[in-house]
Amino acid sequence: MPNASSVRSPAPTALPHLPRSVPLRIGLGLLLVLLLAYPWIAPGGYLRYAGVLVVMYAVLSTSWSMVGGFTGYVSLGHAAFFGLGAYATGIGVVTLGLPHAAAFVLGVLVVAVFAAVAGLAAVRARGASFVIVTIAMVTMLSLLAQDMTWLTGGSAGLQVPGAVAGISRTGNHALFFYLFTVLLLFALLTWWFIDRSRYGAGLKAIREDEEKAEALGVPTTAYKVAALTVSAAFTGAAGGLYAMWFGNLDPIFVFSLVLGSSMVLMALLGGSRYLLGPTLGAFVVAPANEYFLTQHGESQLHIILSGALLFVVVLFMPEGVIPAVQRALRRFRPQSASIREQTQQELHESRGAAT
Amino acid sequence: MRDRGPLVTSLAAFTLLTTLSACSTPEDPTAGAEGGAAGTFDAGAAGLEGEPVRIGISMPLSGDFSEPGIGVRQGYETWAAMVNESGGLLDRPVELVFRDDASDPNKVVSDYESLITQAKVDLVFGPFSTRLVIPAAEVAESYDMLFVEPAGASDEVFEQGFEYLFYAAPAVASDHYDNLADYIEKLPADERPRTAAYASLDDPFAQDTAYGLKDRMEAAGVETVADEVYPPGTTGFTAIAARIADTDADLVVGGTQFEDSVGLVRGFQELGYQPRMAAFSTGPTIPEFEEAVGGATEGIISPVGWSPSADYGQNADFVARHTELHGAPPSEDAANGFTTGEVVAAAVEEVGCAEQGRKCQKALADHIRGAETETIVGPLRFDEQGRPQSAHLIQQWQADGPEIVLPDDDARTGDLVHPKAEW
Amino acid sequence: MPSLSLLAQGLALGVLTGGVYALLASGLTLYFGVMRVVMVAHPAFLFLAAYITYFLHAVTGMDPLLTAVITVPLFFLLGVGIQRVLVARIPQESLAMMSVLLTFSLALLIEGGLGYVATGSYRSITVDYATTSLHLFGVAFPYDRLIGFGLAAATFIAIFAVLRLTRLGKALRATIQHPDAARLVGIDTAKVTGIGFGIGLATAALGGAVLSIIDPFFPAAHWDYIGKLMAIIVVGGLGSVRGAAIAALILGTIEAVVQVSGGATEAGLMFYAFLFATLLLRPQGFFGGRLAERF
Repeated sequence: MPNASSVRSPAPTALPHLPRSVPLRIGLGLLLVLLLAYPWIAPGGYLRYAGVLVVMYAVLSTSWSMVGGFTGYVSLGHAAFFGLGAYATGIGVVTLGLPHAAAFVLGVLVVAVFAAVAGLAAVRARGASFVIVTIAMVTMLSLLAQDMTWLTGGSAGLQVPGAVAGISRTGNHALFFYLFTVLLLFALLTWWFIDRSRYGAGLKAIREDEEKAEALGVPTTAYKVAALTVSAAFTGAAGGLYAMWFGNLDPIFVFSLVLGSSMVLMALLGGSRYLLGPTLGAFVVAPANEYFLTQHGESQLHIILSGALLFVVVLFMPEGVIPAVQRALRRFRPQSASIREQTQQELHESRGAAT
Repeated sequence: MRDRGPLVTSLAAFTLLTTLSACSTPEDPTAGAEGGAAGTFDAGAAGLEGEPVRIGISMPLSGDFSEPGIGVRQGYETWAAMVNESGGLLDRPVELVFRDDASDPNKVVSDYESLITQAKVDLVFGPFSTRLVIPAAEVAESYDMLFVEPAGASDEVFEQGFEYLFYAAPAVASDHYDNLADYIEKLPADERPRTAAYASLDDPFAQDTAYGLKDRMEAAGVETVADEVYPPGTTGFTAIAARIADTDADLVVGGTQFEDSVGLVRGFQELGYQPRMAAFSTGPTIPEFEEAVGGATEGIISPVGWSPSADYGQNADFVARHTELHGAPPSEDAANGFTTGEVVAAAVEEVGCAEQGRKCQKALADHIRGAETETIVGPLRFDEQGRPQSAHLIQQWQADGPEIVLPDDDARTGDLVHPKAEW
Repeated sequence: MPSLSLLAQGLALGVLTGGVYALLASGLTLYFGVMRVVMVAHPAFLFLAAYITYFLHAVTGMDPLLTAVITVPLFFLLGVGIQRVLVARIPQESLAMMSVLLTFSLALLIEGGLGYVATGSYRSITVDYATTSLHLFGVAFPYDRLIGFGLAAATFIAIFAVLRLTRLGKALRATIQHPDAARLVGIDTAKVTGIGFGIGLATAALGGAVLSIIDPFFPAAHWDYIGKLMAIIVVGGLGSVRGAAIAALILGTIEAVVQVSGGATEAGLMFYAFLFATLLLRPQGFFGGRLAERF
């Protein structure tokens, strides 16, 4: 278990705890520079649009892993939080006439409160019922958003005016690319802090054996509800940004089980127990989706492909590609060293056998 | 995380992938042309020289709207084939570039963003389903692309202030039943329905059709005795049918798509409810309808935007060529696709350009706004917001299949039977 | 307020539809019972069965219900295969969660595959007995739902007979109640679990045949059933065959009564209201009782 060591790890001493190794710092810096430069590397409308979607998915899968990764509770219904955040923000702008920033904050708050309440019902039942509740949340909110036409615009959709008046479409994409990137960094930072905290250790204990954790004094219900609330708040924040960026909300598309399952797929594919795993997953799956859509978009192959990908990940690498690659690297890298050792050992043995 | 191995690994992979995704994955400009080939319809443009006029279209080839989506696509293909056979557009061959949107608005926007900015198509046509038209039209609007579309007919579409959007059919959704309303208003008092029941899918298009008729009926003094709205994804319609049947209304109106129209008709049959007049949108015009309701079609009324037998423009050629190309006669959706092509083609030939840029595209839009175009659904004019100004025909299923019964002009093929036969 | 006759009609339709729901949900309780697996792909398998029924009916002219002779054994084997080859691969400690994702991927594969092979077109089967009703006391009992109800009843009787009267049933019940103890007394729990899964999927074959004559269907139709069926098995008590049947009848009835007196959206929301109420008041379900006491 890769987390065994981190369970024991003490709380961080210095707060902005940058990794110490030089290649890692360079790597992180390079990554950030690359991310920030992306809208200028890719000035075209579509590339920027796809870039926003990819970073948005990275936020979503990272948020998902705050529950799925730490506690092991699989939620198929994070689209409920996404959609609720989007609608609350949109309604804040359209109906309440709030400034965009205030509406965004309102959206995040609404989602956090909803998640805390729904979470109480959801985590009362362990395992299977939790998944069912998350599925039910999506279908239920979809029905409600569809029905409450006076508030949500119903099936005609909710048109949310853009955050900056008169900005060009590609300029708007660049703006939201950065906003989503900031949100992603914030989500990663939160993940990092939880991972290194006592609280994070408690969540992981729940994942490994909930009964034992409880016996050892971990307040499991409170911990789980808190994890779900934080995770939902970030998901809702992504929804809020989405509402202002995309500008058009439709109940049956925003509250979608398929959206929820993509978050899971991305997080698992990258590795939901690793800081950058879900981001990595999003950076693989979302561009792949776009690629298949634009290149082979005339058939239903893309549904089959996403199903097949999930299938492979669940059966063959449930820990994600990070440990898989790591294992491969370990086998590859130390091998050059170990070959000699082994040869020496073999030599020794053969010598011993000879004598 | 004490162990730094995973972090290094993920960083390495992450950097690699960011580079990859930035440079290659979401399609470089040339990939549009090549990759698009997978979804391109090469419409026998053998004899034509010169750069093709490339037209980008997003279509729901999978997902909830895929069924009518296929019809629209076939209509587009027939249009392209016929244009290429008769000398092309501005003497250039036409090439259609299709993308699947999986009935998902994020993908619709992806499609049009990539078609316009990556594949750099010269023109775009609209997608299918009202729910997808607004996000798609916003993309076209912000890149100054003419956006003639075959499906977005609900009121909201025309209230967004779009400059480039036109709906290529005779009338918007709320006017679909106008001819039927006129007919009912003229009926002698003892034949007129006294009560009406409405059941509609919660969908902007379906609801607008039913409520358009409801407004007219209420104004004419027909009492509304039931007004049911059910959400998408409803399974089982018998209980909803029971509620309608209980009112025993003279007129039943369904703001329906396909499975709900079938479910309601089957439900009415099972419950033994026999209204004097029954009207459903969309469902009864889809070829699978007759089999799905077990042949109990006689007397069912629907608004249609097009008739295979109408004597407008190239209609006869369209029906013949379409049947030849696709092995089946065209549906109304196919005709809508074809009409879209006709409206755009007329503007392109008149203005003399088909390329990106505000100058050409605005000229095309202005032309369409000012002109009357001859199409297979009759002459089309548009108002400032892109609403077509004609009226839908009224179709009624009769013993020998669907007949056009209203309005009382050349396109008519039969008389409206009222009250309808029992089902 | 709806008239008395309308309420009676709603009640009749509700009970019949509830029976159909019971049939559709019965497999879910078996998977959960034998393996603690939430099979999200069950509705997708229902529609896979509906498509197979459709094509058998279209090609050979067989009666759609008669095709069960072919589809039931086929789905049984498929179910055993899925359990033995796929689900059994998942480590026990992550089974509850990962099996959901695995079966979700199966649902996507089935939906995509059906779309690829059969296109997204609506399909429907009409049989002459499916659009008429039995009229009793001014209330219509549609034959298609009566058939569905009858099949559901027959299926439940069969499942109970197997569980109660056969050696296999004893082994199944033992495996459901306590797999470790069952293994200790010499039951081949791996095999028994596979069979339990197979029976669960076999019910999907029957359910699909019933669905195919009731409503038109298309590849993405399974999404509309996932929420409802999941709510039913939670309200009934996860893993309890009897509880799910009772919950299906009650929720089906409430749905139809609300549909005729309130509205369709409210009717749909009933499933989730009951789901949340169950989890808050009685997380083990209303009709299941303790797992060990079921059956």
